[in-house]
Amino acid sequence: MKSLDPRVNRLQPDVTGKSIAPKAALDQFGTFEVFVQPKDGKPFQHEGIVHAPDLELAYVLAKEAFTRRFTCTSLYVVDTRDVYTSPTTEGDQSVYSLIEAPLATNEVKTSYEIYHLLKRGKQHLHAGTVEASTPQEAMYTARQKFGTDKTIYNVWAIRTNAIRLTTPEEKDLWNTLPEKKFRDATDYKGGDKLKSFLERSS
Amino acid sequence: MQSLKELLYKIADDQLILGHRNSEWTGFGPLLEEDIAFSSMAQDKIGQSYALYQILHDLGEQAPDTVAFMRNANQFHNCILVELPNGEYDFSLIRHFLFDTAQALRFDMLAESSFQPLAELARKIKGELRYHTLHANTFIKKLGSATTESINRLQQSLDFALPYALGIFEESPYETELIAEGIFAGEKVLREKWIEKTEDIIKQTSLHLPDWHTITPITGGRLGQHTEHLQPLLDEMSEVFKIDPAAEW
Repeated sequence: MKSLDPRVNRLQPDVTGKSIAPKAALDQFGTFEVFVQPKDGKPFQHEGIVHAPDLELAYVLAKEAFTRRFTCTSLYVVDTRDVYTSPTTEGDQSVYSLIEAPLATNEVKTSYEIYHLLKRGKQHLHAGTVEASTPQEAMYTARQKFGTDKTIYNVWAIRTNAIRLTTPEEKDLWNTLPEKKFRDATDYKGGDKLKSFLERSS
Repeated sequence: MQSLKELLYKIADDQLILGHRNSEWTGFGPLLEEDIAFSSMAQDKIGQSYALYQILHDLGEQAPDTVAFMRNANQFHNCILVELPNGEYDFSLIRHFLFDTAQALRFDMLAESSFQPLAELARKIKGELRYHTLHANTFIKKLGSATTESINRLQQSLDFALPYALGIFEESPYETELIAEGIFAGEKVLREKWIEKTEDIIKQTSLHLPDWHTITPITGGRLGQHTEHLQPLLDEMSEVFKIDPAAEW
């Protein structure tokens, strides 16, 4: 069966073409960044991306793609293009040493969510919220507010009103998750069952 | 007691059969993310049917696995809508929308039931059903206003599915008793709520609903009168179980 997902169809390379041609643009949806709050009181963390045609469908698809197994209390998504990223540093250098003071503006301030990368290869963690008129100002403000003694390798700034948040009524979406043991491979105790089967049949 | 059991069986059978049907999309969904979401909701439905069969078991019926796997088609109380083959994805999405809208409203009503185990279950799965309707509504609103092809496909599937969807509300012989005892406010009330909700979503799209009076509901499912599609589904679903019904999983 031919998949309706262009990403799957691309797995089969076209070997019939003979002429030299530029690579075609990819036929696929844009990406949305997914953030999950594992427990009340814990910070949101970046989990990955989903492909979707718009923000609302990204939320709907992210819910099962990222929160169908482990318990969590909240989820949000944002268009990848709405995530502003700082440069990335290495070693002992904190990225905040590179963030310069923004030029003063009279623009209206809005709220930004600030994310920190505390260890290379780990997920970005929510550090807090700041008020600013540009992503750069948001990072500069974050430097003063959250630029702690820890080395921070990368910072993200996301305008809060670009995010599809979980509404208070939707907090019950994950209520039955702790009971869905059938989604946890270890709960089937496959090894134990195989062992007792082998013992019985020997 | 008979009225309560009949109610539990029809809700459980709807969830089991549609859960199985929707699971047939696993691996074939139109997008990886949607494949996961649709499969996950199918699992939810089977889980909900299990909870209802468990309540029936507590009322003296046989164990959930026996009830799910050992009955023949004419012993099932599901509506015809849920047993129809998947067809194309547009039909599966429309069925998901029409059925889950009704199911979410049904459980909203059952949250007030005088039969406590059912009221508790309804409150417990509220979040699951909220996701199912969010998923359905978002897809219908998006594809119902997207391209000529998506609108035409959904419209054709909607026109085809509506007579079966009205069959969801086929009344039970015990309707008066259920209402009098405060167990369930009845199919008529549910149907009114469903029409209102369905109209509310469809009017946000380029799709249209015909005059409800022109549609003849396709019924019989609640009495065990099914199409030729149900028995093959049951045979496939119970194939492994029947090899060794006493096996521990």
